[in-house]
Amino acid sequence: MLMSCKNLLKTAAVIILLSVSQLIIAQERVVSGRVTDSKDTSGVPGVTITAKGTKTGTATKNDGTFTLSVGSNVTTLVISSVGYATQEVSIGGKTSIEVSLVATGGNLNEVVVTGYGTARRKDLTGATATVREKDFNKGVYTSPDQLIQGKAAGVLVINNTGQPGGSSTIRIRGSSSIRSGNQPLFVVDGVPLSGGSARPGGSGADYGNDGGNPLAFINPTDIASMEILKDASATAIYGSRGANGVILISTKKGKSGVPTVDVSASVGVSNVLKKLEVLDPGEFRQALKDYSQTSGDYGGNVDAFDAITRSAFTQNYNVAVGGGNENARYRISAGYLNQQGVIENSRLNKLSTNITSSFKFLESKKLGLDINLLVTQSDEKIAPISAFVGFTGNLISQALQWNPTHPLIKPGTDSAWIDPAVGATTINPLATLNYFDDKAKVNTIIATITPSYQITKDLKYQFSYSINRQVGVRRGQLNKIINVTGIEGRGAAFINNQEQTNTQLTNTLNYNKQLSSKFNLNAVAGHEWLTFDTKGNGMNAQDFANVGLDYYDIMQYSTQTSRNIYSFANPTTELQSFFARAIVNYNDRFLVTGTIRADGSTRFGENNKYGYFPSLGVAWNISREDFLANANAVSNLKLRLGWGQTGNQEFPSGASLDRFGLGQQSISQTNYGNPDLKWETTTTANVGVDFSLFKDRLTGSVDYFNKKTTDVLFEQTIAQPAPSGKIWVNLDGEVVNTGVEIMITGNVMRSKDINWNLSTNVSFMDNTVNGLTGFYETGALRGQGFSNVFGQRVIAGQPLNVWYLGKFEGIDKTTGQSIYTGGDPSVNKFYVGSPNPKTLLGISTDFSYKKLTATINMNGAFGHYLFNNTAASVLGIGNLPNRNIAKSLIGVEPKEALSNAPAPSTRNLEKGNYLKMTNATISYRVGNVGKSIKNLNISLTGQNLFVITNYTGFDPEVNTDGANGGIPSFGIEYIPYPSARTIHLGITFSL
Amino acid sequence: MKHNKILVSFFIVALVFFSCTKLDERFRSELQQGNTASVTAAQLLTSAYQSIQGTFQGNGNLISSAQVTSDETIVPTRAGDWDDNGLWRQLFLHSWNADHSYLSGAYSSLLGTQFAASNVLQFSPSPQQAAEARFLRALSMYWVLDGWDQVPYRENLTDYKILPKTLKGTAAADFIISELTAIMSTLPDGSPTSAYVANKDGARALLMRIYLNKGVYASRTAPTFNAADMNQVITLADQIINSNKYALNDNFFDAFAPDNDVKSKENIFTLLNTGTSARGTDAMRGFQYMVNHYNMNPGGWNGWSTLSNFYAKFEATDQRIGGYYNYAGALPNPGHNTNAGFLIGQQYDLTTGTALKARNPATAPLAFTPAVKIRETDPNTLEMAGIRAVKYVFDYGTTGDFKKNDYVMFRFADVLLMKAEAILRGGTGTAAGTYGNTALAIVNSIRAKRGATALASVDLNAMLDERGREMYWESSRRQDLIRFGKYLQAWQEKPADAGTKNLLFPIPSNQLAVNPNLTQNPGYN
Repeated sequence: MLMSCKNLLKTAAVIILLSVSQLIIAQERVVSGRVTDSKDTSGVPGVTITAKGTKTGTATKNDGTFTLSVGSNVTTLVISSVGYATQEVSIGGKTSIEVSLVATGGNLNEVVVTGYGTARRKDLTGATATVREKDFNKGVYTSPDQLIQGKAAGVLVINNTGQPGGSSTIRIRGSSSIRSGNQPLFVVDGVPLSGGSARPGGSGADYGNDGGNPLAFINPTDIASMEILKDASATAIYGSRGANGVILISTKKGKSGVPTVDVSASVGVSNVLKKLEVLDPGEFRQALKDYSQTSGDYGGNVDAFDAITRSAFTQNYNVAVGGGNENARYRISAGYLNQQGVIENSRLNKLSTNITSSFKFLESKKLGLDINLLVTQSDEKIAPISAFVGFTGNLISQALQWNPTHPLIKPGTDSAWIDPAVGATTINPLATLNYFDDKAKVNTIIATITPSYQITKDLKYQFSYSINRQVGVRRGQLNKIINVTGIEGRGAAFINNQEQTNTQLTNTLNYNKQLSSKFNLNAVAGHEWLTFDTKGNGMNAQDFANVGLDYYDIMQYSTQTSRNIYSFANPTTELQSFFARAIVNYNDRFLVTGTIRADGSTRFGENNKYGYFPSLGVAWNISREDFLANANAVSNLKLRLGWGQTGNQEFPSGASLDRFGLGQQSISQTNYGNPDLKWETTTTANVGVDFSLFKDRLTGSVDYFNKKTTDVLFEQTIAQPAPSGKIWVNLDGEVVNTGVEIMITGNVMRSKDINWNLSTNVSFMDNTVNGLTGFYETGALRGQGFSNVFGQRVIAGQPLNVWYLGKFEGIDKTTGQSIYTGGDPSVNKFYVGSPNPKTLLGISTDFSYKKLTATINMNGAFGHYLFNNTAASVLGIGNLPNRNIAKSLIGVEPKEALSNAPAPSTRNLEKGNYLKMTNATISYRVGNVGKSIKNLNISLTGQNLFVITNYTGFDPEVNTDGANGGIPSFGIEYIPYPSARTIHLGITFSL
Repeated sequence: MKHNKILVSFFIVALVFFSCTKLDERFRSELQQGNTASVTAAQLLTSAYQSIQGTFQGNGNLISSAQVTSDETIVPTRAGDWDDNGLWRQLFLHSWNADHSYLSGAYSSLLGTQFAASNVLQFSPSPQQAAEARFLRALSMYWVLDGWDQVPYRENLTDYKILPKTLKGTAAADFIISELTAIMSTLPDGSPTSAYVANKDGARALLMRIYLNKGVYASRTAPTFNAADMNQVITLADQIINSNKYALNDNFFDAFAPDNDVKSKENIFTLLNTGTSARGTDAMRGFQYMVNHYNMNPGGWNGWSTLSNFYAKFEATDQRIGGYYNYAGALPNPGHNTNAGFLIGQQYDLTTGTALKARNPATAPLAFTPAVKIRETDPNTLEMAGIRAVKYVFDYGTTGDFKKNDYVMFRFADVLLMKAEAILRGGTGTAAGTYGNTALAIVNSIRAKRGATALASVDLNAMLDERGREMYWESSRRQDLIRFGKYLQAWQEKPADAGTKNLLFPIPSNQLAVNPNLTQNPGYN
C-alpha cells in the first residue's frame, strides 16, 4: 500500500518534471524505473544505471527504483551490478522502464557464513560451496541434507531407505574413517549438533531398524542457505570434529520492513518408484509346470506387493511472519508436514516452529541480542522393515516371496490368512501389517541466546549459549496371532525412552578493520564449551491377551519371566576448545587465512587430552593483476591453496578408560583403558581455481584435493584372555582420499523473456587404505542360508570396504548348479570392486520464459558396485514351489536347478551406476493478486521421477546397515523400504 | 575507552573461568576402576559362570568345532539352507582356513572365560570362590589346549600392554594339573543335585581327561600313553566311584532332561540353566531347534544330522538309541512316538499324534532317512535326509526362550569309560563299586544298564565305539577320534585329510596380529 503510494507520487513527480523539463530544458529528460531480481522479483539495491556513452549515472535505492536525467540523445541505459548479468536497455521514447536482472554464479560480494563468523566470498581461501534457497532441490523434504543432494561437487548424499524421515549417508570427499563416524558436522545457526538423536530403537529384530535422520527436526522451509566447508583451511576451525567436512545451516531471519506473511502449501501423492519383478500368477503356474512341481498352486490370483503399498498423500503447510526495523527484527514460522509412506500404515507427521529474533539496544545500538527458539514434534508410524531379521524376513521380503496363487485374505473373513499349508515359517505380509505396531514420538527444543557488544567500530564481542534438548519415546507391539516363532500365542510389546541434552557456551571476539589502504584484517578468536548427555531406559515383555487394548498400554499383564527392563546413562562428554582465525587481504589481490584450534575432550585418553589443529590458506586473485585488467572475458580468476589438519572424535565416551558394566545381578569388565587414545587426524591439501568468464556468464571452480587420515580409530581385539577382547586404539594404517572436483555454472541464454541457466558439478574420487596390518571383515549379508556371511573387507592396498566375494561363472548346463571360480565360493574369494563411487555428478538447469519457469535437478554416481542382497537370498530359485521367485530366473538357458544353493558371489554384485531425475518443477509466477496477495507462485513438482540405471534392485541409491563389530558397511541393499516417486502441487505467496 | 578496558578484562576473566573444566568423563551407569569398591567377587564369579555357559550352549562356536568335525554329526547344505558361505561344509570336510568364524569364535569365548575367572581373584574372593574361579579357568584352558595347543595365559590383569604368555602342549597340561591339584581341598564336595557348582568331583573328572590325553598333548600325530598317567586316571575314577554319590541313571535321558538337576544321579559338573535370563542362556533350546524340521514342534532349522554309519553302531535294544521318553514338561505324545535320542523315519505331531508332512514337497510324509550327503540337491528328499539326534529333550513346560536343562560337562558314565580306557591302555585295573576291575567288565556293566548285550571282548576300536554310543553329541567325539588316531581318516561323506595340520585348529589371525607370543599352528598360513 505504501509502495504504491510512493510509486504514485514518484510517477506524478516524474510526469510533472518531464512536462516541465520538456518546456524548459528541451535537451534533457528523466528516465525512471525499477530494477528487480528475476528469480523473486524483489528490488535490487545498489545497481549501477549508466547512460550509455556518457558518464551520467545513478544507483538504485533499497527498493530497486531509480531516477536518472539523461540527455535527449541518449538511447540506451546500461544496467550493471556485481553478481548480476549486465543489461543494456533501450529507452527510446520511454520514460519508465522495468528491468529484471539475472543473477549469475559467483556473487563475489555476497556475504558467506564461515565457521564462527562471516566473510565476503571474494576473501575466501578454502573450498566452500554455498547453496541458497533458490537452488535447493525442489519439492517436499523431511531433512536439510536432501536439499543439497547433487548440488555441490564432492558431496555425496544418499537416502539409505525410502522411509519418510529415514536416515541418510552424507560423504564429503569420500569416507576417511574405518570405524568412527563419516558423517559431516552440522552447525545450525551457530549451534553444533551432536549427530545423534533421541529417537529410541525398537526392542527386537522385527521392528524397523533404521535410526532415522538426526536432522529431521529442522524444517527445510526455514532454511535460507547452506554452506558446505570441504577442505581443511575452511574446516580446521572446527578442530577435532571437522575431518569429515562441515555443513553450516542458516535459517531465515526477519527482514527490516513491514511485517510480511509468507505462506506456502503443497499437496502431493507418492507411489513406489520401482516394483521388483517377480512372477505373476500365470507365470508362477508356468514355472511350477516347468519344474514339474505338483504342489504350490492354490488357485488364487494376488499381488502381494500391491497389497502392502498404496498411493500415499503428503501435505505440507508453512507460514512465516517476519518483519521489524534496523533495531529489532524477527521471524516466526510454523510448519506442518503430514507425509504418508508408500508402505501401508507408515507415516511421518511433523509440527515445527522456528522463532528467530535480533535486537539492538542502548542509544548507541551497540548491545545486540539474538534469541532463537526451534521447537519440533515429530510423530512416526514406523513400518516393520528391518535388515536384521532372521530367515522369516521382513514385510518386504514376505510380500515379494508370497505365493501369487494363494489368497491373502481368508475366504469368508476379512483378516489375513495364516495358512500352515504354505509353511509354518511363511508369514503373510498382510498379517505383518495388521498385527504389528510401532510408533515413535520425538520432541526437540533448541533455544539459543546470543548477546553481543560492539566494543568499537571494529571489535565486537559475542557470547552465545544454547541448549538442545530432545526427548523420544517409542512403543511397539506384535500381536500373538501372527505365526512368528516365539511370538505366536504370546505376543510382545515394548516401550523405550531416550533423552538427549546438549549445551553450548561460546565466546568470540571479532575484529574487522581496514588496517591501511591496502591491508584488511578479519580476525576472530574464541572459546567454546560443549557438553553432550544421553540417557534412556526401556522395557519389553511378552504373553499378552487380545482384549482390544494395545499391549504396550497394559504391560503389567505380561508374565514376570518374560519381562526385561534396562536403563543406561552414557558417560558425559565435554569438549572445550580455543580457536582463532585471521584473514589478511592485501589489496584484494592476495589473501592469507590462518586458523588454529585447540580441542580438549573428555573422550581423549589421559595422555592426549588436548589436540591442536592448524590450517593455512593462500589465495591469489589473478584477475586483479595488471596483465588481466583489460581482459574483458575474465571477470574473476582466483587461485587457492590450502593445507590443514582436522580431527575426528566420534568414538564412544569412556573408550579410553577401564569400565565395568552391570547385567542382571552381575558385574563384568567391558572395556580396557587406553590412556594414549586420541582423535583421528585428517590432513588435507587443496589446490583450486575459481573463475568467472564472459561477464559472469560462465562461472565455476576446479579443485584438486588430497585427504589423508592417520591414527585411524579402531576398536581392536586385545590379546586374549581379555574382557570381550576390545580396546580402542589408534591404528598404524591410513585412509587416503584424492580427487578432482569441477563445478561450472553457465547462463546459456539471456534475453528479456527467456533465461536459461545450466549448472553442473562433477567429482572424481579415489579411495585407498594403506599400512594396515591384517584385515577386518564387514558387510554382513543376510537371508536364508546366509548366516555369518561377510562380503566386505578393510585391508591395506584396497579401497575402504572393498568387496571380497566368490566369482560366479554361470550355471552348469547339466546339473543346473552354479559354477564358481576355484570351486567352492566360500574358500575362493577375490577382491571384486569397491562400493565407493568414483564419480559423482550433479546437473541443474532452470529455464524461464516470461512468467513460466522450469527447473530440473539430476544427480548420479558412477564407478561403484552394489550387492543386491534382496535378489541373492530372498528371491532365489529354491523358493519354488511354495514361494515366489525373481522373474529373471525363468526362461533363461541353462535352466537352474531348484536345489542350487544361493551363495554370496559376484552373481549379485551389480554395477551401481545411476543418473536420477531428483526433481523437476514447473512454476508459474502469477505475481501480485489484488491488493493483499503478493508474489503468488504456483508450481508442480515431481520428485524422484525416474532413474537411469542397470541396477536391478529397488533403487541404486541405497545403504542398508551391514555393520560388523562396529565397522560400517556400504552399498548393500537388503529388503529396504522402497523409494517413492512423488508429484506435488504447491502454491506460495506473501501477504 | 575506559569501559572498553573493563569489557576486555571481563572477557578474559570469563574465558579463564570457563576454561577451568577438568575434562574428566563421569560415569553414570557403569563403574570405573576406581569405583569398584562396590564390585564383589560373588558378582564376578556369577559372570564367570555365565560366560562359560555362553561358550558351550550355543550350537555355533565350540560345540560345532567339537562335533561337526567328527563322524557323529553332519550339517548338510540343503539347497539354500545351511549353506552359510560353506561354514558347515568346511568343518565336516576338514577344509577350514585360519579365519573360520566359528573356530575363531570358540577360541575367543574360551579365553574370555579365562579372563572372567581370573578377574574374580582380584576382588578378595573367599577361598571357595577362588577355588571355583580357578576351576572355571582350568576348564577353559583345557579346552583351548585341546583344540589349539597354544594357551595364552595372563597373570597381570591391569596392564594390557603386558602380553599374555603362551603355554604349549605338555607345559600347559602340567599347569592345569597343578591348578586343579592346588584347589582340590578348597572346592566344595559335589553331588548330582548341586553339580552346577564347581566341585571336587568335577575337578577329578577334568584331571582324568587331562591325564588320559596327556600323551596326545605331547604329540598329536603319534601319542603314547604311559602307565603312570593311566593309573592317575584310575585312582581319580575310584575316588569318584567310592564316594557312592553317583550311579548310572535308570533312564539314559534323565541326565539331560529339563529337571536333570533334580532327578539325574549321574551329573558331576553341569552348567546351570534356570529357565530365566537370570542364569543361563537361551541357547539350550538350540539343541532341539537345530535338528527339528520346520513342521515339527518346535519348528526348527532342519540342519544337524548324524551319519548312517554312526547310527548303525547301536543295537535296537540299546536305550541310548532313543525312543519314547516321558518327562516333566513333555508334550502329551499320545502315540508314544520317539522324542529323544535318534529321530528316524516318520515323525509325528507330539500333541495330536498325527503323522507330519514335509514342507517341500508338501505332500511328502516327513520321514527322516538314514541316507545323507554333505550337499543335498534332490528337491524331493533334501528336507528329510539324515537321522536327527536329541539328547537334551525340549522343555515345553517353560515358556520363553530360556530352558531349564542344565548342560552336562562331566557325568558318571564318562568317568567309568575313562577308567576302562585307562586300564586298556596300560593302567592297572582296580575294583571299585560294582562295575568290575577290567575294561571289559566296566564296559559291560554300562551296557547292561543301557539295555545293550554284553561284548565278548573289548579292544581299542570297540572302546572308541562304546564311547561313541554313550557320549554321542556331548562334544567328546573329536577328542576321542584324535586320541584313537582316527581323526584324519576318511569316513562316510568325508575324504581323508591331506597332511596332519587339521589335528589342531588355526589360531585366529586377529589374535596373531595383536599377540606376538603366539605363532600360527603348523600347516596354516
